[in-house]
Amino acid sequence: MKKEDTVKLISAEGFEFIIDKKAAMVSQTIRNMLTSPGSFAETEHGEVTFPEISTTILEKICQYFYWSLQYASGKETEFHIEPEITLELMMAANYLHT
Amino acid sequence: MSCSCVSVRRKYLHKGLLRQLLLDFRYNLSVRPTHAPTEVVIELESQKMESQLVEMCMESATESRDAVEAWRRQRRTLESMPNHLAEALLHRLLGRRLLFPSLLEVFKYCVEEIDLRGESCVDAEWMAYIGAFDHLHSLNLSDCDKINNSAIWAITGMTNLRELDLSRCSKITDAGISHLTTIPILEKLWIPETGITADGVVLLSSLTNLSLLDLGGLPVSDSALCSLKVLGKLQHLDLWGSEVSNKGASHLKWFPRLSSLNLAWTKVTMLPSLPSLACLNMSNCTIHSIFEGEGQKALLTKLILSGATIRNVSEAFIHLETSSLSILDLSNSSLNSYCFLPYMSAISDLDLSGTSAGDETVEHIACVGQNLRHLNLSRTKLSSAGLGILAGFVPNLETLLLSYTAIDDFAISFLITMPLLKCINLSGTNIRGIINDVDSESNSASSLSGLCDLDHLERLDLEETRIKDSALVPLPSFRKLSYLSLRSGHLTDTTLHQLSSNRSLVTLGIRDGVLTNTGLYLFNPPPSMRILDLRGCWLLTEDALLSFQQRHPQIEVRHDLLSIALIKRLSVHSPLSQATPRTKLYTNKKGGPSTSPLRSNRDRYLDQRLKYTREELLAMSFGSASISRDNVDWIPHALATDG
Repeated sequence: MKKEDTVKLISAEGFEFIIDKKAAMVSQTIRNMLTSPGSFAETEHGEVTFPEISTTILEKICQYFYWSLQYASGKETEFHIEPEITLELMMAANYLHT
Repeated sequence: MSCSCVSVRRKYLHKGLLRQLLLDFRYNLSVRPTHAPTEVVIELESQKMESQLVEMCMESATESRDAVEAWRRQRRTLESMPNHLAEALLHRLLGRRLLFPSLLEVFKYCVEEIDLRGESCVDAEWMAYIGAFDHLHSLNLSDCDKINNSAIWAITGMTNLRELDLSRCSKITDAGISHLTTIPILEKLWIPETGITADGVVLLSSLTNLSLLDLGGLPVSDSALCSLKVLGKLQHLDLWGSEVSNKGASHLKWFPRLSSLNLAWTKVTMLPSLPSLACLNMSNCTIHSIFEGEGQKALLTKLILSGATIRNVSEAFIHLETSSLSILDLSNSSLNSYCFLPYMSAISDLDLSGTSAGDETVEHIACVGQNLRHLNLSRTKLSSAGLGILAGFVPNLETLLLSYTAIDDFAISFLITMPLLKCINLSGTNIRGIINDVDSESNSASSLSGLCDLDHLERLDLEETRIKDSALVPLPSFRKLSYLSLRSGHLTDTTLHQLSSNRSLVTLGIRDGVLTNTGLYLFNPPPSMRILDLRGCWLLTEDALLSFQQRHPQIEVRHDLLSIALIKRLSVHSPLSQATPRTKLYTNKKGGPSTSPLRSNRDRYLDQRLKYTREELLAMSFGSASISRDNVDWIPHALATDG
């Protein structure tokens, strides 16, 4: 996988998630960061740091990105969300517009 | 059957009802409620969620009581939650019957708006928690039966509360007003149809920040209105059904910013000049003069005079500046002349239904037809020739309601000259759908084919006409038609099959038709279809209807037999243990709105029903069999398949 096709998402605790750019684009916020013509550091390095999103939540978010792509292509599986994380995930999703 | 399952369906039931309610309001313009349906619209829109994952989290968080327990201790997260998410979560829990007073506490810091309208469980305990919400900006308690004076004691002195709705909380009396006056920043207050008297209204004069005050249905006297003069910021004042007379109306000029005024069902016959006014409702009043007096003329944009009696129109309207008027409702009013119409150059929405307007009135309308979008001429003396006068003069018309007029098939050729028409109502007219009035139907052409040229046509009502199957042949070529309502004993399976090729139909009604089980079995509904109304199709059997439902679960089928079947099923599942709500509901229905001309029965009906649980609904059907038919018709099939 070429480096240009991936992005690195960094959680509050510093964990790094390297995922397909296509998957990350599911989030409108990340899409704007990566495609905006300005000189965002994110655009250049393909790295986005989320100081407000914990590792567990960011992992779930990444899973959701891939699930969403699958779902859009017609594979209708269930995306399970544990009730314990619903609030935090909801807030993260709200921030990421996903 | 799990608890959450029921509540999910209940939610959809509500949505369906609301949507139907909206449709009814938009199209049955003859039934105009005194309370505008705008609130309902807002609620529908607010239920839209912005993102898919947020929606999924919301679903998961409100799935069951256990799910709630899993997150309710995450206090810090809850405190930092954006208020729109917190509010959505709170209302979702409420809708699923998972919200209880002590759970309210977790929303203490993150919620600015709470809408508890129609929740019969909301009582003093709930209010005790809500009183502690630091940032609460808006609170809606309308139709909460248990709210009384001591319950609203809890909101005394709230520092951020700006909007409070206590509509129809009948236990609120003058004593409750003293709790309200401790919130001086209150800007909007709704207290219509409560137990407040003129003495209580006088006390409101200390709420000097009020910009909206709804006192509908309260016995507000002239002197009480006079004492409200100090409310200089008032922009919206609702006084329908009050005891205000001409003397009181003369005090209205003390409100310099008043832009919206409702004086429906009052004894006011003369209104002084109110330069700031934009919207005026004087329906069901006897009007002698409007805005008589010196000074600047009001630039009214909206005037509602439905059911009003105006003896001398030229005298009554002489001071009225009509050039800015865009909405005029004169439905069911009695007037002697329509000579003022040619001066209303900005008119976009005109309702003359149920008036004495005839073909000569249409000539006046044609003069100002340029901006006209919605025109209601139902139950007037209009003829096809009269409609011909409009042809070519109303290029922007979108809605044209002509039900129960004497128009016939010739009118259709005039409709074609109105290219933007979206909604046409031709129910109860002489339209037969056939131009050649010869007995041999074989060589006659369908007049409806003319409507094919109306590219925007979305809704067509043809109920109670003498239309036969053959006349409906052109319908499948209507590209955007999404709503079609037919009601005639002449319609057979042929119509049903013709319409299966119409790809845009969402709602189809073929009421009182002679459809057969075989016809329904062979019917292949278009994929867009969601509602199929077959009420009164007496040849259909329950089995045939149920098997159709099973094959097409996305379609809500309405039929008398299905409603009966539903009640039977429910009665098997849940024994009649709900004695209390039954008696309560029964008295509610009997004593309440039906006797009062001030309220729209249907409005009230539906509002009430939104808060019933399934058991209550069932109890009601048994408790008041005589009036339950209407309810039964409304129950969607989602409930029928429940179980």
